[in-house]
Amino acid sequence: MSDVQVSDKRTVSVTINGHVYTAEVAPRVTLADFLRKECGLTGTHLGCEHGVCGACTIMLDGRTARACLMLAVQVDGCTITTVEGLARNGELNPLQQAFWDNHGLQCGFCTSGMLMCATEFLEQNPKPTGEEVREAISGNLCRCTGYASIVKSVLDAADRMAADEGAR
Amino acid sequence: MTIAEPVQNPSRYTGSPIRRTEDPRLLAGRGQYVDDVTVPKMIEAAVLRSPLAHARITGIDVSRARELPGVFDVLVGEELAAVAGPQPVIWTPITDQRIARTRALAVDRVRWVGQAVAAVAAVDRYVAEDALELIEVDYEPLPVVADLDAALAPDAPTLYDDWPDNVTGSQTYRAGEPEEAFDSADVVVSGSFTHGRAFGCPLEPRGCIVNWDAFENTLDLWLSTQSPNLARDLLSEVFGVPVHKIRVRTPNLGGGFGNKFDFYGEEVIAAVLSHRTGRPVKLIEDRSDSFVATSHSRDQRLDFEMALRRDGTIVGLRGVSYGVLGGAFGTVGSGPPWASVLTSMGPYKIPNLDLTVTPVLTNRAPYGSYRGWGAPKGNIVHERLIEFAARELGMDRTEIRRKNFVPPEEFPYFSGAAFTYDSGRYADCLDLALAKVQELGWPQQQERARAEGRSVGIGYSFHIEPSAYGPSRIMNLVGLAHSGFDEAVVRMDSVGKITIYSGQINMGQGTHTIYAQLAADTLGVPMDDIVVVTGDTDSCPYTGYGTGGSRAAPLGGAAILRASGRLRAKILRVAAELLEASADDLEIENGKISVKGAPGHSVSTRDVGDAAYRRLLDRLPENEMPTLEEVDVFDPPNMATSYGCTALLVEVDRGTGRVTLLDCVQAHDCGTVINPMLVDGQLAGGLAQALGGALLEELVYDEEAQLRTASFMDYLLPTALDIPPFHFVHQETPAPDIPGGIKGVGEAGTIAGVSLVASAIDDALSDLGVAVTRFPVTPPRLVELIRDAEQRKEGAQ
Repeated sequence: MSDVQVSDKRTVSVTINGHVYTAEVAPRVTLADFLRKECGLTGTHLGCEHGVCGACTIMLDGRTARACLMLAVQVDGCTITTVEGLARNGELNPLQQAFWDNHGLQCGFCTSGMLMCATEFLEQNPKPTGEEVREAISGNLCRCTGYASIVKSVLDAADRMAADEGAR
Repeated sequence: MTIAEPVQNPSRYTGSPIRRTEDPRLLAGRGQYVDDVTVPKMIEAAVLRSPLAHARITGIDVSRARELPGVFDVLVGEELAAVAGPQPVIWTPITDQRIARTRALAVDRVRWVGQAVAAVAAVDRYVAEDALELIEVDYEPLPVVADLDAALAPDAPTLYDDWPDNVTGSQTYRAGEPEEAFDSADVVVSGSFTHGRAFGCPLEPRGCIVNWDAFENTLDLWLSTQSPNLARDLLSEVFGVPVHKIRVRTPNLGGGFGNKFDFYGEEVIAAVLSHRTGRPVKLIEDRSDSFVATSHSRDQRLDFEMALRRDGTIVGLRGVSYGVLGGAFGTVGSGPPWASVLTSMGPYKIPNLDLTVTPVLTNRAPYGSYRGWGAPKGNIVHERLIEFAARELGMDRTEIRRKNFVPPEEFPYFSGAAFTYDSGRYADCLDLALAKVQELGWPQQQERARAEGRSVGIGYSFHIEPSAYGPSRIMNLVGLAHSGFDEAVVRMDSVGKITIYSGQINMGQGTHTIYAQLAADTLGVPMDDIVVVTGDTDSCPYTGYGTGGSRAAPLGGAAILRASGRLRAKILRVAAELLEASADDLEIENGKISVKGAPGHSVSTRDVGDAAYRRLLDRLPENEMPTLEEVDVFDPPNMATSYGCTALLVEVDRGTGRVTLLDCVQAHDCGTVINPMLVDGQLAGGLAQALGGALLEELVYDEEAQLRTASFMDYLLPTALDIPPFHFVHQETPAPDIPGGIKGVGEAGTIAGVSLVASAIDDALSDLGVAVTRFPVTPPRLVELIRDAEQRKEGAQ
């Protein structure tokens, strides 16, 4: 990133949304800045840069992680999914569809992190209660919705995914 | 007053819970927020901020910062002041008020922690922040004015050497004979209410990219603003660059909440750095900056009393609202504390008023806009005092409200201080809320909980929301150096599709969707045929003020309705020529224009577009101007006052002071509901902010005016576990002065929610006689109230 510390740079090779990105990165560059500036994946947002708001939540080797609290050099060899990896061929996935249908977003800034958080949660708990959803998303701040519509969206997504599963 | 419920709406879209056109790209991570934008040759800036609340700057050494590889420029206050004027103040509602002006960078003195002192532009933000650490500033500390009491003390140090004290001025609004009313009243209740500092805290911090082309003398900005036209006008004031050479583009906003209405020093700093370096400069506020550099709000003390007759009739209200301003005026000056006194009578008929606003300077960060804009504290005054009166008189707290409501037949109703309420059915709205509370079984829940020894309470709050700010000349009259109209352009193109251009900004509230709904219904075309364009002063029309004051739906909507109506008429005239029929005999449905009763005889909007733009011969009437475009400017004759009745179920833990929010009901009237799903979203989001402000959020300053809550570990935004479920019920009383009958809804929740929490806590602790007057009601504060009340009770026994 920085032009002035070229000598310090390390090679990072990481698979993001199925594509392999290889870059020379200064050790101090955060994973969030790497994703946003080096890889052009600006869907991962920065709301606090101290690990509280959850807007930068991504999936790292199958688990959620906060991209603002990691360095890019830590993900060499890893597999990452960002919000850009959820929709396929121009089609929103069932979770995204549920957020759309239930007004689960207003400004959209926290949404990337909410979606990644809910993705992991629904894998672990495919039939949650509303209270469980509230608990699961309580580490992600939303300033617009008052959360009720997000809870509704996640519950609706669980139903859709169960129906899809049943249809298979 | 027109009353219609439900509104008989023949339309296809208006009134329906249409999902938003904005959402798919936001959900896919393809939104474009200001920090997602890069422009060629862009460099990045960072700002050095004062660590002291009040000090003289005796020296700044930037030489080491300048030498750091990767640094393009370092800017200090004197250099900025040579090319930039003071930060503009647009609201001056108080006659002869002293205005504390500042520059975007401090010149010789700092007056709050976090005030910008120097700025660096460098190859990237990492290097820019490295360089900040190499700047050496010598400060000579000055005595600190940390809070309101310190500011008002007789021997207080003054923030400005040529001021006799720290009081900026005072303004009093009087109606009737308040002294007589108080002298002859049966009961007088009073309270000193305090709301701590808070801010809107959009999850996306503010930011800009500024490119000042010194050869063209043009300023080209990407700016995370709610008010692009205002920003353009104010940049012109600050730099003397003419408005037509300034372009402001607004990308997606990650929330605004008023905080992004104000005009900040950072855009001025970035502009000067761009001019000096010849490069576009990006300046993004990080979260830590945001706590000291984004407008603070709410900070206010309100000493008020209410006079009543024994039967519960309110006869008078009087008091002083002290606005705890910062070390300099923000863009809106003391507008919010002023708006608190103007709304302090709420929905009640109070014939005798004596209301004073006194804004005072302290060494805190500047005061500015936050959703609700003063009204949440006006609401605290009337809703707390009416409950205190109910207690004093032994009356039911909802019946005393009902007794004092302005009745439907008395609208338009002059409140006695500046605002005229346009319409309302307050008692009906109260009944709606009460019925919902019964339906949900709250009284039974409360009874059961009390039997188990749990402290469960039900709170009420009735609020008014003056929206659709506002009639331009009246806005000017009350001290706004800006207008209140809105302009819209509605255009049909050569293939019969529609583009709407609006100066309003979409910051998450869904204006693109509701504008398309309104235009589609008026024009008779499918919503899919409509694109809404906002966020570029080069292509979008002028809007007075900006997107604030709950303007976007009523004023933006009215302009679009009127322009669409005229465009529809022209489409019909062209179609009449094509169909060899009379325009009066035609109708448009789903983009097809046909003779009424003869649907086979029709043309499409595509045919009309072609006739107006491309193949005019024998198709466009001779007397018609080519193209299909209508412009409308709507300047409202009056504001539109929304209102609602909110109820809250809480449980209080008497040992810890913890308040758990169990359930929430809001009955609401915003006139015509364009999209009920989005209206509920606005109500819920606003309530969540108010509930956070009532219980959790506080920008705490210590005695040295150091900010002690400058991270999300200390400034607690509510999470999904803090916020209760919501139940919304609506009534629709169309706004009589707004085409379409639309009233604003953006600020309702924030206004209603603070006094509401106090009402519920008081009810949960009714056996102790607790009266909450200070917000936020943090656990330690509530424990103290409970202990004091317990001691009082024991003492009395």
